[in-house]
Amino acid sequence: MRRSFAVVTDSTADLPNEWRDRYEIEIVPLKVLFGQETFRDRVDMTDEEFFRRLAASTSLPTTSAPSPGEFADVYRRLAQDHDGCISIHIGAQLSATAEAARVGASSVDGFTVNVVDSETVSMPIAFLCRIAAESSSLAEATAAVEQRVPRCRVLALLDTLRYVEMGGRVSRAQAMIGTMLDLKPLLLVANREIKSVDRVRTRSRAIARMIEFVRAEQPVERLAVMHAQAPEEAEAIAAQLRNKFPDLEVPVGQIGCVLGTHTGPKALGLVYIKTQSR
Amino acid sequence: MAALKATGVDGQLFKRALLGSLNWLAANHEEVNRLNVFPVPDGDTGTNMLLTLQSAVEDVKESNAAEVSKIAKLASHGSLMGARGNSGVILSQIFRGFARAVEGKGSLTPAELATAFEEAANAAYRAVNKPTEGTILTVAREAGRAAATAASSPEASVPRVIAAAAAGARAAVLKTPSQLQILRDAGVVDAGGYGLQLILEGMLKSMEESEPAPSSIAETRRPASPASQVSLDLPEGGWGYCTEFLIEGDNLDTELIRGQIESLGNSVLVVGEPELVKVHVHTDDPTSVINLAGGYGKLLKLNVGDMSTQHRRILETAGAASGARPARANGVGLVAVVAGRGLVEIFKGLGVDAIIEGGQTMNPSTKDMLTAIESVPYDEVLLLPNNGNVIAAAKQVVGLTKKKLHVVETHSVPQGVSAVVAFRPERRGDENLRAMKAEAERVQTIEVTHAVRDTRSNGVRVKKGDVIGLINDRLEFAGDDYPEVVKKALGKLGPDAYELVTVYRGEQASDDELARLESEIRTNYPGLEVEVQQGDQQHYPFILSVE
Repeated sequence: MRRSFAVVTDSTADLPNEWRDRYEIEIVPLKVLFGQETFRDRVDMTDEEFFRRLAASTSLPTTSAPSPGEFADVYRRLAQDHDGCISIHIGAQLSATAEAARVGASSVDGFTVNVVDSETVSMPIAFLCRIAAESSSLAEATAAVEQRVPRCRVLALLDTLRYVEMGGRVSRAQAMIGTMLDLKPLLLVANREIKSVDRVRTRSRAIARMIEFVRAEQPVERLAVMHAQAPEEAEAIAAQLRNKFPDLEVPVGQIGCVLGTHTGPKALGLVYIKTQSR
Repeated sequence: MAALKATGVDGQLFKRALLGSLNWLAANHEEVNRLNVFPVPDGDTGTNMLLTLQSAVEDVKESNAAEVSKIAKLASHGSLMGARGNSGVILSQIFRGFARAVEGKGSLTPAELATAFEEAANAAYRAVNKPTEGTILTVAREAGRAAATAASSPEASVPRVIAAAAAGARAAVLKTPSQLQILRDAGVVDAGGYGLQLILEGMLKSMEESEPAPSSIAETRRPASPASQVSLDLPEGGWGYCTEFLIEGDNLDTELIRGQIESLGNSVLVVGEPELVKVHVHTDDPTSVINLAGGYGKLLKLNVGDMSTQHRRILETAGAASGARPARANGVGLVAVVAGRGLVEIFKGLGVDAIIEGGQTMNPSTKDMLTAIESVPYDEVLLLPNNGNVIAAAKQVVGLTKKKLHVVETHSVPQGVSAVVAFRPERRGDENLRAMKAEAERVQTIEVTHAVRDTRSNGVRVKKGDVIGLINDRLEFAGDDYPEVVKKALGKLGPDAYELVTVYRGEQASDDELARLESEIRTNYPGLEVEVQQGDQQHYPFILSVE
């Protein structure tokens, strides 16, 4: 039976193509600007091309949210064969995307759009989309997603702070690292905040700490490993995690262009949704 | 009074004996320094003992107390505050044991003096975790035994007991190489033991000089400023003043005085005895502090320092400690002992609130560390000595501050960096201590320097000037140039087990030497990442952290 409501997200959800197709999820792209050139995330440029350009580029690209008009177009199209839609987006503390969606939705009459500010980024949003898509009604989907928003976590290891600093999202002070030593901060995105939860000197220590951190966060109901151009490491981490969390699927996902602009290459992330405490 | 001098040790005689010790050690401390068994340029034993003794005598000089117990107490307290290096800390414990043994006594018989010497040695043994024979401990004990033997003779006198103690010390010092392999290897006697021998010999000299040196009397008569005449201009919005002085009086109540002074400032330190109390306070209103204290007795050694200047010296390094950096949630401050401009910047950048300049050849005193700890705006502090020779003095601070102090026993700069990196502001102090210690132990330290003397250590024979490489404080390699020694040291550690080498470049290392060292590491160990940091440390052209 065809679902009566649509599920919409944006390109920062790092939604795997396979999920997009299976669950018929609509992705609205954010934009990446290399100087004068504008690319739609995951549409005009593949992730591989993006990271190649990022590494080669002397100036950093900038990113921008979709316009309200672009959202309105999508909602209008979906209104033709759906009763309503849930539109789940990157945290409003990080991007204007959710706000653009809200404004866009208000211009489409007679079509219910439940915009959800996920307060997070990357694959936790993809998980929320799946949960929504598996729900039997828009109301149920919205409730299931909204109650999980406060439990979404992104634990990120950046190979360098250069990109996130240039992007203005995190300062060195926030990351608790000085300007002298090449420290690797572990950043946690949770409940509208980005905070440094640890800092270490070497990548392998950092990875070990990430795994320890997530183990201490148990129980979790969804867990994935994200990477920016570090697939082997990500697979190895996922294999370890599947051992430790035998009930979980632990997919490996690729960090997309927009997020990649801020994380830089070689970033790794453990993203998860904590289980609701009883 | 001549009769009393011959038969008993009163306060002024003991004071003279201590001044004699100081003069004799001062004249000979370089000789003690040369007894260093290690070829590395580190905190010299003679200098550390001399500075500790100077601090012991500092307050004694001001006192006219007739009772030996009072002078001994002052010496005990002063030495504790001034303790530097391991030998200095042990010396302070010797003074402490002596002061305990003579408590309540106005004058000592020869037998009582001998007992006090023995008690002093016992206290020193108790203070050390794993007492080692062939060190200052053995020398202290043998001096005590010899003194006891002399005291039991019918012709016992104070000069004879002291002479016996000095002779016992000398004999024990000569035996130290037979007790300790490292001394035998290096062909020297124990430096700390020799320092103690000099202290006892100095006492003996003061006995032999029948008349006390007039200068030492003159020095004791420094006029104190009458409280009523002190007036100071206060700058607006300044740091306030670091105000320090001694109160000499009767039945002084340190608790009561502390309570009153605390209402006038912060970083309050009030320590001492009923007759003499040392006060330290940071205040905007030194005049009131001085007026208050003046009510208890005579003020001595009044020193009011403008903290804006002091801050530049000790606390500038604290960077944002009191300014931009927000207060930490866990209420735990970080204080580290560091030397070298670059290393100071690194530790500051990692969030350390106050830095005590010092380390390798310049071991900070207990008091230096205490002052820094009192200066940070936290009631709980983690202290990183970052040098094996500073740890003992750092531990002494625990008993001197009202703050909750944890010493993270870091033996080197790399251990210190690893420990600080592991500090988390949301974690409790004891949890941080555990985590920091664990991280410090994961890192390996390679230090590269030049031998300052010919010696043999850990089976390695070195010539003065050789490049030497130490792994975790143990001498492992000697050679002609830095890259070669570092390559061997990394090879010994087994580079496959490590990822990252951080090279802290010292003041002496040239660009070319650095480039050659880097390329040697990269060529021989391509699996290791190499990061270079400007450390500007003295004496060690390179310190490497391997993790």
